[in-house]
Amino acid sequence: MSDPLLDDSYTPDASTIVKAIKVNKYFGRLHVLNDITIEVCKNEVVVVIGPSGSGKSTFLRTINHLEKINSGRLYVNGHLIGYTLRNGRLHEESEKNIARQRAEIGMVFQRFNLFPHLTALENIIEAPLNVRQIPREQAEEEGMRLLDRVGLADKADKYPNQISGGQQQRVAIARALAMKPSLMLFDEPTSALDPEMIGEVLDVMKELAGEMTMIVVSHEMGFARAAADRILFMDEGRIIEDTTPEELFANPKEERTRAFLSKILH
Amino acid sequence: MYYFDWTTFFQYINPITAFQDPLVRSGLLATVMVSIVAQLMGVILGLFAALGKMSKFPLFRSIAELYVWYFRGTPLLVQMMILYYGLGVTHIFDFPDIHIGALAVSGAIQAGTLALGINEGAYMAEIVRAGIEAIDVGQMEAAKSLGMPYGLAMRRIILPQAAKVIIPPLGNEFNNMMKTTSLMTVIAATELLFAFSQVNARKFEPFELYIAASLYYLVLTTLWSIIQARLESGLGERKGAEQTPGMLQRIFAVKEAH
Repeated sequence: MSDPLLDDSYTPDASTIVKAIKVNKYFGRLHVLNDITIEVCKNEVVVVIGPSGSGKSTFLRTINHLEKINSGRLYVNGHLIGYTLRNGRLHEESEKNIARQRAEIGMVFQRFNLFPHLTALENIIEAPLNVRQIPREQAEEEGMRLLDRVGLADKADKYPNQISGGQQQRVAIARALAMKPSLMLFDEPTSALDPEMIGEVLDVMKELAGEMTMIVVSHEMGFARAAADRILFMDEGRIIEDTTPEELFANPKEERTRAFLSKILH
Repeated sequence: MYYFDWTTFFQYINPITAFQDPLVRSGLLATVMVSIVAQLMGVILGLFAALGKMSKFPLFRSIAELYVWYFRGTPLLVQMMILYYGLGVTHIFDFPDIHIGALAVSGAIQAGTLALGINEGAYMAEIVRAGIEAIDVGQMEAAKSLGMPYGLAMRRIILPQAAKVIIPPLGNEFNNMMKTTSLMTVIAATELLFAFSQVNARKFEPFELYIAASLYYLVLTTLWSIIQARLESGLGERKGAEQTPGMLQRIFAVKEAH
């Protein structure tokens, strides 16, 4: 059944990285994503906030198809992500094609998810070597440059359990960047960190902002203020507000937003 | 009163004199080789069965589950007889002797190895699956988010980590395997037990000879325990894992005092 409200004549333009049109997702009877419609432009930094269970992480994970969607259209770089359209219906893409799409989208996880059996440098070059088939020498050179960029060139030979949480997350960012993605997704990148390590990770992210399209699920309002172009407030699977950080902090439109902000801003 | 023939006993537990008997030599060799080959088969089959059980395709899942269900639910001895006598009589496969260089592998050895390997695969499937499931789902997600397809992610990210979980029970399986090869004696495969039975047919000193035979198994399993302890402590050191059981603990299955 094709949805008459869905416009499948969407023609991508180079400046739009993510385009979501009426995306819906259910976990059983729970409506986790409710008609999500947004557009993220090239080099934009979008921070997503909202109470837990509001669907913000789920939405982020649909963008690289770690979560399936039930209806709607979700485009990344002009291509439907994870699906092809046949007669107006979504059909899941093949494993190989999904993998190819994911290679263009970097993701940073709350729990870092570094590969514990590989050193920091090996973590970074694993996908360039085996997915992109880049020669080892070149991959290592680029890997070292990335490690240097996140300030960890001296930790190249350390295993994840030999470095701190903040350092692990910086390696994880470098690992995602090594695939030269056109979009970076951050899923609560600092919420598993000890307070004294949050700054070093946010600093790396701030440096990335401006040269990279980023969608960041985070409650770090300092980061949002300093680096975000837009801020989305989600609640109960919907995007309630979509505005600039200044606007959101100065005068939130919705009562729910105000209530939420007063809780996290103290 | 029974007179224990120490001469025969020592003749057959002393490798120098025992190995003068070609039966003992080839029997011991067969037991070791069959154990290794069957265990390798078991690991490979177990890996595929485990992946099949976790597959998103119902057909693969059904095949894998049927396989594990049947081979764990029926006696190995019966499976071995079906394979050797059953396939032989139907002429589906006659198990002709194979010559690999100077080594002649009899049909019975082939059938026995095959049965042991297929049976072992069903047990390894559960061990491999438990190993894979012990790995945090975040690892697969991270691999996927980097553009790795399922197979590559399994091979490069999940299985190397799962191996650490799989190797200790795998070692125990191999220990069992070396003892279980003795079942092949019923299809007249010349492994260690059958070799001693042959010697016994000549000398009729079953008490002395079967005790001697048992000691060969004991030496094999003990040697393996030592190798296993070395392997595991090496594995632990590299990744800073917790202490693995020591050698004495492994051999005598007792807790060492700390």
